[in-house]
Amino acid sequence: MTPVAVTGWSLRTPLGVSIDEVLTRLAAGERAAAPNPRFDATTYPCTLAAVIPGQPAKTRHARFVRRMGLWGMQAATDAMRQAGAIGGDRTGVFCGYGGLRAHWEDILGPLQRQRPDAAGAWEAGLRLLHPFWMLQHLSNNAHALLATDLGARGEGVTLGGANAGAQALGAAAAALHAGTIDVALVLAYDSLVEPEMVLELGMREVESQVVPGEAAAALVLERTEDAGPRALVRLRAADGADGARGWPSTRTLVHVARGLGDAELSGPRGLPEQPGLPGLPGLPMLLDGAGVGDEPAVLAELGAGATFPSMQRQLGLLGGAAALVQAIVLGSWLRAGRARSALGLSAGAPGLCGAVHVDVS
Amino acid sequence: MGCVITGVGAVSAFGVGMGPLLAALAEGMRAVGPIRHFDVTGFPTRVAGEVPVLDIDAGWLSAVGGLPGEHLDALAASGLLRDRKVGFALAAAHEAWRAAGCGDAEREASLVLALGLEQAFLEDFAPLLTPAGKLDFAADAALSAPPVRLRSRVDLAAEWVRRVLDLEGLALVNVSACAAGGLAIAQGAALIERGLASIVLAGGADSMVNPLGLGGMSRLGAPSPRAAPDACRPFDRRRDGLVIGEGAAVFVLESAARAQARGARPLARVLGWGSTQDAYRVTAPRPDGARARLAMQRALTRAGLGPEAIGYINAHGTGTPLNDPAEAQAIASVFPRGVPVSSIKGAVGHLMAAAGALELAACMLPFAEELLPGTANHLERDPACAIDVIGETPRRARIDALMSNSFGFGGQNVAVVLGRA
Repeated sequence: MTPVAVTGWSLRTPLGVSIDEVLTRLAAGERAAAPNPRFDATTYPCTLAAVIPGQPAKTRHARFVRRMGLWGMQAATDAMRQAGAIGGDRTGVFCGYGGLRAHWEDILGPLQRQRPDAAGAWEAGLRLLHPFWMLQHLSNNAHALLATDLGARGEGVTLGGANAGAQALGAAAAALHAGTIDVALVLAYDSLVEPEMVLELGMREVESQVVPGEAAAALVLERTEDAGPRALVRLRAADGADGARGWPSTRTLVHVARGLGDAELSGPRGLPEQPGLPGLPGLPMLLDGAGVGDEPAVLAELGAGATFPSMQRQLGLLGGAAALVQAIVLGSWLRAGRARSALGLSAGAPGLCGAVHVDVS
Repeated sequence: MGCVITGVGAVSAFGVGMGPLLAALAEGMRAVGPIRHFDVTGFPTRVAGEVPVLDIDAGWLSAVGGLPGEHLDALAASGLLRDRKVGFALAAAHEAWRAAGCGDAEREASLVLALGLEQAFLEDFAPLLTPAGKLDFAADAALSAPPVRLRSRVDLAAEWVRRVLDLEGLALVNVSACAAGGLAIAQGAALIERGLASIVLAGGADSMVNPLGLGGMSRLGAPSPRAAPDACRPFDRRRDGLVIGEGAAVFVLESAARAQARGARPLARVLGWGSTQDAYRVTAPRPDGARARLAMQRALTRAGLGPEAIGYINAHGTGTPLNDPAEAQAIASVFPRGVPVSSIKGAVGHLMAAAGALELAACMLPFAEELLPGTANHLERDPACAIDVIGETPRRARIDALMSNSFGFGGQNVAVVLGRA
């Protein structure tokens, strides 16, 4: 698989909204888990969550896009600025959308008087819905607004689900290689900290150190020959699947990692060990997602002796944003001279997984 | 490597199956009418292209959709069939799978499914509302065990299609609003072209014919204010808005080599596609249709065809005041010598994320019957839409290639070119 160049990146995570801060706190072994600030979770199986600190800056787009979409748009704008990229006919936006995270506060009024059989639903409250309520819950609203702001008029797509970030990276790379665009802005955002998601995940903090999390991240991708010295790192991305009803098998994860083609899957030796970023001989590897449970087996299959055990223990489950955050964390770590290449695997949905390989060759 | 269509399945307001869809379109029928499966009293819009089923359950999926029973009880017990698009996706996918003669040897198939908004269920909220007017999710013990109620995940229908058909390949969910259906077919064909898959199940499913969907769309002001069966009038001078529809269409796409090797009969070929973004306004298309025009030109280029090779365009044709003239302008500029154009949205409504998929399914009619679908409710020509719009009566013509357009919210454009097998 031919790599693409990353020329800009930005993220918003529970351990900070700048890459330096996130890396520093990851290296210090910090965990972002705290009592869930989004709602009163004291009666829930998991009371903790890892939430992005603060609020996204208010923009005129807040009429159409809610909190996570705004985080994603801000990360995307930062990444484009860093890349020195502008929109145009040859710039495309590729969005990984974890899924609708309902803003219950927007709808409580219209719900108050609803009957269970939905009889008379309009007069009972739906007539009170905000005129933009539908737009605020559209899956591609951030994509559309970003494209408009940036004048990005090239091929693009919004993909949905817990593997959407990895898939958006793959779609963007394919469009670059096909020559239909010259610049791809890839963004992904997801939040698993709202009440219905916390319940759906079924996590119990006594059983696991991993808590629901959230993140937004963006990468600007170009062909390596176009980027030249502007490249921060090189990236290969792929997504994979098997027929599993549960999480993808070790065999599938390994297959997807190897499917990255000529990506070197045997890494350097003698990395310095740090808290949170343990350096062990072999390929630095980062495994994330609710479904990546058998790290030793994956590592043994890939012949990689080294690993960042998992960033999800510190950042929380990141759902559809995991692959992009992995790419940025690994890439930044490589640029600090820790190693020359690294691999991230994620598995956020039944039978689905993603892989990113980053190198500074 | 060519990409061919070897199976198609559809669920529409005409019923379950490609047979009812193509037969009705061949007769110039329309199926928009009063919404029946929930109480629409008071809603500004009370008509839709509603699939003729009140409640989707395991029995419906088995008897009408023809699905095997082993998974249906679990699906029905989960309550997720209340999200109607899940059932529609399953029925359409199963029909396509059977029509293509797929079996165990095709389980490696990838899936690209266009899906619409996650669905929330009003009936679930009432027990959770506290006297203080808050929602207490943890109050309902049933919620603490998956599958969760209250909403269906954005990718849930795709997960169940994979499970019921036992698919092992890649799975992508395209949520690019009203362009998603066309984009899903393009993505599926691209997977084949790039050698990432040799067989793909691609299509779309959606339903906003529910209280929240209808309420949200009504408040947005997109539907026609006339609650009448002819509410959607594509390219007509009197057009005043869209009509919501629901349903699904799914295609089996495969490499020509694979289809030939297993003896599958191609129904059509996917020749090309093009995609662009308006980057104009969130709630309105570019009035000059310039980016839509480029998507069509790119589709022709990828297909290796000139405009004269296209014998029919299935337009996005929403019947809204702004979309239709912009699309007409784009078509006129790409096809200066004219080309027959129609929209089926007056007949079946706007299927949102599934629109492009169902409209491509309708595009099987010219190849199968040498009939170009008509445009229901198109009675008065609009000078602002100066193209050759086929009226309500289907037009007889033998064509070798056609184009289908889909333009989504936020300016997402896609055009797909199909050719005779």
